[in-house]
Amino acid sequence: MGEAHRLGAVAGLGLVLALGAGLAPPAGLASAEAQRRFHFVDVAAKLGISRPLLSGRPGKDHLLDSAGAGAAFLDYDQDGRLDVYLVNGWRLDGTKVVERGRNGLYRQRPDGSFEDVTDAAGVGGEGEWGAGVAVADYDNDGRPDLFVTNFGRNLLYRNLGVGRFENVAARVGVEAPGWNTSASFFDADGDGWLDLYVARYIDCSLEDVLQAKPTLSWRGLEQVAVGPFGLKGAPDRFFRNVEGRFVDATDEAGMKDLALGFGFAVRAADFDDDGDLDVYVANDSDPNYLYRNDGGGRFKEVAVPASCAFDANGAAQASMGIATGDADGDGILDLFTTNFSEDFSTLYKGAGGGFFEDVSRETGVGPITYRPLSWGTAFADFDNDGDLDLAVANGHIYPQIDRHPEVIGTYRQRNLLLENRSIRDDATPRAPAEALFRDATAEAGPGFGSERAHRGLAVGDFDNDGRLDLLITSLDEPPELLRNDGAAGSWLTIVCEAPGGTAIPIGTKVTVTAGGRKLSRDISAGDSYASNHDPRAHFGLGRAEVADEVQVRWPDGTRTVRKSVRARQILTIRKGEG
Amino acid sequence: MKLTKRGSGALLAVILVAAPGPASAQSRGAATPPEMVSAYDALADVILGSRKAEKKLVLSLLAASYGHAQSELARARQSLKAADAAGARGAVENLAAAVGQIGTEGDNAVAGVRKRLLEGGHHANAEGEAQGVYDEGYVVVTKAAKGAFLDASKAIAMLARDPKAEALDNEWKKVEAAWAKHIASAR
Repeated sequence: MGEAHRLGAVAGLGLVLALGAGLAPPAGLASAEAQRRFHFVDVAAKLGISRPLLSGRPGKDHLLDSAGAGAAFLDYDQDGRLDVYLVNGWRLDGTKVVERGRNGLYRQRPDGSFEDVTDAAGVGGEGEWGAGVAVADYDNDGRPDLFVTNFGRNLLYRNLGVGRFENVAARVGVEAPGWNTSASFFDADGDGWLDLYVARYIDCSLEDVLQAKPTLSWRGLEQVAVGPFGLKGAPDRFFRNVEGRFVDATDEAGMKDLALGFGFAVRAADFDDDGDLDVYVANDSDPNYLYRNDGGGRFKEVAVPASCAFDANGAAQASMGIATGDADGDGILDLFTTNFSEDFSTLYKGAGGGFFEDVSRETGVGPITYRPLSWGTAFADFDNDGDLDLAVANGHIYPQIDRHPEVIGTYRQRNLLLENRSIRDDATPRAPAEALFRDATAEAGPGFGSERAHRGLAVGDFDNDGRLDLLITSLDEPPELLRNDGAAGSWLTIVCEAPGGTAIPIGTKVTVTAGGRKLSRDISAGDSYASNHDPRAHFGLGRAEVADEVQVRWPDGTRTVRKSVRARQILTIRKGEG
Repeated sequence: MKLTKRGSGALLAVILVAAPGPASAQSRGAATPPEMVSAYDALADVILGSRKAEKKLVLSLLAASYGHAQSELARARQSLKAADAAGARGAVENLAAAVGQIGTEGDNAVAGVRKRLLEGGHHANAEGEAQGVYDEGYVVVTKAAKGAFLDASKAIAMLARDPKAEALDNEWKKVEAAWAKHIASAR
């Protein structure tokens, strides 16, 4: 239906919904509303998303049983409403495979409910044990495609544009059997075709998984799943996209995984702000990698000198997920990695030029995240006040710890919401001694009250009301779709489109100037833990009702600028227009 | 220590050679046959010797990284004198990488080997790890040394953006001091 089905065309609807939802007037928030600054409600079942996500055996005898799977917000039918894709695992009973879970594609109807269209679309997962998902237009036909990582063969579902997909992974060369975890599409060499990095975890067979017994002593209290120490890491892989076909270019690109790190997450971003995309990889129990793009798709691993391989103590952490964003508003991308329990999740402040500094302790992030075992994560402005908050999905990997809750807590854990206190127009400014982040979980509504073994996390404004919602997966339970009903401030969402098509160019950077602040977002495909966020750039504007300027820096370095842009709308900006 | 198939075979050969015949075993009652004790003793030399060899090898790796750092430092200084900014940047980056590799006891390829040893249950400094002195699998570089070299690596890498001779010399002095304190003393 052309324009009417485009994301940008729902701007008016977004405005109506936003006003209808009773957003606080810009002049200030009433105290009751201020208390509901964050308020999330799980509406997954109510809106039609209820299929449980399978994850091995109840005892989690092998690490695969407890790795879980990711989720994606995407608009596969390009009707302006976000759809949902959920990756699924298998159910085991001892050494037997009881059920091979099916992935799920849920199309959002005009009334906001979701319809399971998995079978019609042909994206059920081909019987593989699913791990993660990344969404991007790999073949430049204007439609978003789905890359699904698996313990097994990967799948590349090419979007045929009629509500159907076809798996072309074997044909285009990205099956790469093994334990694939997260993936990220990005244009490494600036040729206009999206290349692909796939993080991989442990080198093991299905037989190893089926025969596994929990034989590792956990603090002398319980026998739990072995690993990752004692197991061999699987090498990550990089595929160069040659006009729609992929060639393994791991070695040639300088990305050979020499240390065989236990790869769990990957994020491509321009960390050194030199105009090309670098790659950060979170490894479990091993130093993390930063592959700096030196141009032409050639990379150099520089995490140690860049100071983002280890924590501030020089220790490798058990990293699970990644978030990137400008947390402190200095215009430089910061990095956040989620880690194992009884260890800080780590906030690396971008120092410019691709260098980082671990500021977890002084920003409050470390102490807040110390106890839980954390996975999916995202920087996002949930209260639309102009700074980036943090959402963190939590859940332990050993169900056996429930017999000793006094030691470190429980297997099922609450997620965390960390409020960024850089900007709060309606509150007393943060004192210099106060940490940048505070724990806002307790006041984030019932959606943040559930205790589960959470894993994947994706952010997106599924109801187009200008408030960012959350899609979170858990082991052996249905996903949660946390609708944001908070009393958020003003906002602006930018949809970037390639010329002549509807694809959102990965690697595009959007900068909005409003209320005396400069805010930036970069568009990625593959993020968090094995998940994919809404590809639209969302900005909280606080009290500003007009953005002075919106600037889009396209992947080829060209720019598009709009002046005096009205807030509370979803605005489409096409490359080459204006 | 995990033995490879080849290693396991060699060990089996030693044991078979050392194993006495049935008559010999009967004549000595319950005592362990001296041939086997002798073979085990010889094997102990190999096992303990391998630990020494491991330390020597790691010290050699570190010395190679230090030597590489020195040559990159010289190249950086030369480039700065010749006002070759690009050359200086490259050399300073390489210098930072070499210093970082001292801190991590080798590059990612060495880390892969270290990980394999850990997977086999071999900890060069098990006691030191338990005391919090060493990271897992590290042979020579203590946590304190690691921190010093990683800090120096980052400081040098940041100089690569706009290298200056004086700043470079200052950072290098810190590397030299860390080397003297933590590594040279371990040789």
